[in-house]
Amino acid sequence: MPDEPNRAILLHPHDNVATALANLQAGESLSVSLDGVHAHVTLRQDIAFGHKFALCDIPEGAEVLKYGMPIGKALEHVVAGDWVHVHNCRSHRWGFHNDQYGVQA
Amino acid sequence: MMTNNNEFLGYLRPDGQLGIRNHVAIVYTTHCSLVVAQRLQALFPEGTQIFGYPGGCALREGPLNKIVALGKHSQYAAALVVGLGCEGTDAYMVADAIAQSNKPVEAIKINECGGDIETIRAGSRILVEMLQHASQVERATMTPADLIVGQECGGSDATSGLASNPITGFAADLLIEAGGTYMHSEVNELLGCAEILAERAVNPQVAAEIRAAIEEAERESFGSGRFSWGYGNILGGLTSIEEKSYGCLAKSGTKPLQGILRQYGRPPGKGYYVQIGEPGSGTFHGDPEGINQFAACGAHIAYFTTGCGSTTGGLIPVIKIIANPQRAQLIADNADLDATPVIRGEQTIQQMGEALYAETLAVAAGKRTKSEIYRHYEA
Repeated sequence: MPDEPNRAILLHPHDNVATALANLQAGESLSVSLDGVHAHVTLRQDIAFGHKFALCDIPEGAEVLKYGMPIGKALEHVVAGDWVHVHNCRSHRWGFHNDQYGVQA
Repeated sequence: MMTNNNEFLGYLRPDGQLGIRNHVAIVYTTHCSLVVAQRLQALFPEGTQIFGYPGGCALREGPLNKIVALGKHSQYAAALVVGLGCEGTDAYMVADAIAQSNKPVEAIKINECGGDIETIRAGSRILVEMLQHASQVERATMTPADLIVGQECGGSDATSGLASNPITGFAADLLIEAGGTYMHSEVNELLGCAEILAERAVNPQVAAEIRAAIEEAERESFGSGRFSWGYGNILGGLTSIEEKSYGCLAKSGTKPLQGILRQYGRPPGKGYYVQIGEPGSGTFHGDPEGINQFAACGAHIAYFTTGCGSTTGGLIPVIKIIANPQRAQLIADNADLDATPVIRGEQTIQQMGEALYAETLAVAAGKRTKSEIYRHYEA
């Protein structure tokens, strides 16, 4: 068991995002690790429980990986510590070119 | 009792199946015989379970096959079939089909016995004999390789994809590495996962089958204008249907996909399967139906992951896994595995997956789950 509880979870060593396990504040620095992979970032926005943040820069059009699998493509250049959600990431198969994506579910 | 080699004592059935529980089944073949079956069960609550086909007035293949497969299940030492007499799902026919497993099976019909009282009298005498028979069946050594486990999710929330489902996937891998068998259903929640599962298929035919099954679910989803990804999911942090599906797929573990189970009866081999079930075979609703379909495919145990905190059970022992820290009392009273340490960041998915596997072996060896203690035998 770690010394202090993890504030976020990395679900696969290849992932470029981690998921918040608590409501996190902008400016907060935190680390995640899994199977020998470690990442350390400073959050650029508040991240709510269950939401994701980038562990590294993700270029526009690159795949966003969670569970080791592509959950969508970056709509713009995403900076490490950025909140990653429907405003900057869209479904690869469904809705990448749809401006209403995530606006009306 | 479990030994150091993970061996435990099960129940040997005449057809060679090995069971981890030892009940007598009371099977009703139509809604008209339901009440008499319930009265019989109430007379002998210890050691009996009841299930059946309320719509049995008409004979339909799916539900018939399901109740026959359940009757043949390894956890039943014997079965009493209770019919009215005029239904298409004939009680003698059902009994004959279950009796192919060579266990003691009898059928009684209310019309032939002469009403409620005489049927309860006749049925009681049969049940006494069957319960005594059950108490004397042969025990046999089992190992994890003999186990079949199914996985159901219900009342999912953000903690399902982050903790509960990945935990079951990790335990599934451990079970399969030990030679066991694992299945899940809910293909309609795997939109976008067709290629991933096809790559895990053991041969091109299985790959084609899983692709077709998921593509069919995708067509239905689009056809009905409904995506299983909505406003609540977005608020909760899910960015795409793929992300939601992967949270669900995490329950599948990482092992090769051996096949798709579209018929009841035990899987043809060991390892990881996707279970779909026979068309129109549902005799109940929602999560218990899913759990009992695993039972109809021979599953000894079901994992049930729930975020919001369902208390659902089924005919087989249900190991309930909850990771939502806001459900502390429900977890204390109804869960078998408290997975909140993952959400609190205190334990890893791997650690909790190992704990779930250990719990699975304990339940196989006789530890009663909360669903069993509460008699949550929904069917």
